[in-house]
Amino acid sequence: MKIVLDRPRCEGHGLCGEAAPSLMHLDDEGELVLDREEVTEADAAEAGAAVRVCPVAALRIA
Amino acid sequence: MSAQLQRIVIAGNGIAGLTAAHTLRDAGFEGELTIVGDERHPAYSRPALSKALLLDDADLSSHHLPAPTHGAIELLGVRATGLDLERARIRLDDGEELPYDRLVVATGSRARRLSDLPDEHTLRGLDDALALRDRLASRPSVVVVGGGPLGMEIASGCLAAGCRVTMVAQGRPLVLQLGDRLADVLTEAALERGLTVVETPGATVERADGATCVVLHDGSVLEAELVVSAVGDVPNTEWLAGTGLTGAGVVPVDGRGLVRPEIAAVGDLASFPTPYGRRRVPLWSSAVAQSKVAAAALLRGAEAPTLSFQSYFWTEQFGISLKAIGVLPPSGEPEYVDGEPGGAALLRWPEAAVALNYRIPIPRLRKVLAA
Repeated sequence: MKIVLDRPRCEGHGLCGEAAPSLMHLDDEGELVLDREEVTEADAAEAGAAVRVCPVAALRIA
Repeated sequence: MSAQLQRIVIAGNGIAGLTAAHTLRDAGFEGELTIVGDERHPAYSRPALSKALLLDDADLSSHHLPAPTHGAIELLGVRATGLDLERARIRLDDGEELPYDRLVVATGSRARRLSDLPDEHTLRGLDDALALRDRLASRPSVVVVGGGPLGMEIASGCLAAGCRVTMVAQGRPLVLQLGDRLADVLTEAALERGLTVVETPGATVERADGATCVVLHDGSVLEAELVVSAVGDVPNTEWLAGTGLTGAGVVPVDGRGLVRPEIAAVGDLASFPTPYGRRRVPLWSSAVAQSKVAAAALLRGAEAPTLSFQSYFWTEQFGISLKAIGVLPPSGEPEYVDGEPGGAALLRWPEAAVALNYRIPIPRLRKVLAA
């Protein structure tokens, strides 16, 4: 399972980083950084929460 | 989780209902989950409707959300019309009844209107937004009634589409919602882009000589080819009539989003306790936070945590992006944490932190407020 970021869509709200702090964060410039793109079953709930909280649907799970 | 919990029904397929569904699954609920949505569309991002969706040239995808993974039975284009508490069933407008062990009330709200005239456009659902887009293609003259964030976003979108736009507002636009300082910044940008602002104590939408027009408090008439109103929302609680679950047109809930042990109410129609009193907070991030807490409470009762929520609000209009954490409108003068008046800036009041054309993630904006 992989988290995929559509960077042009990202507006830097950062709600995903709050929902999945162990998987992603926004850097000092407000750019989203995926700390781990490959996620395991154990992280699935957190990854899903991050993807679903984004109001501009910039994230998806592939 | 109680073993007898087999059926959960969610009335409402907006972000509140959607989040509740996913949270219930994440928490281990494996029974039958049914979502009832009155729109035929799959769930979408409502904030995008008045922002990117009005502006995009050909891209009609800015409101798309990832496909749901909750595995619920989705009854779309169907409306809840009644609730029988004793028999634990909801009634639908297609005549069906759905029994439930737990129920999530998430039917949201609708646009408040100033008339019943079909030519008074509002922007609440996806169909409204698509219809407005279509109308803007011919660059009609536009009057927008309502100077809140939604009305100003619509005015911004209409201007960007090349329309001549008049904003009719009760007092200065955005002051009620954002306070003097931020309202000034956004209104100045709006005026620079050519928005005409008319202030009036009140306005009505009427039909005269075969055209829809806006009549101001002093009797003067504003004519336009397109009239859009954005004058607030009305919670969809009529289907709960007779249940005793509503009060003053909203659904009051406890700190876990529950109205009864087996019924949660979340999203735009719920009034929940906050440090500033009981409030309805009809915002995206509020709906998400409420629904996570309430879904857990439906499964675990008093063992589930209560809602601890700090409001996040954003708007994009007239070339300005504004993000805010905390309580709006802020009062008094802000401290400039970064930047300066007239440019990109990070502002702090005792009760709110605001980023103006300033890219900053929410966790950092929260820290700015807490500092």
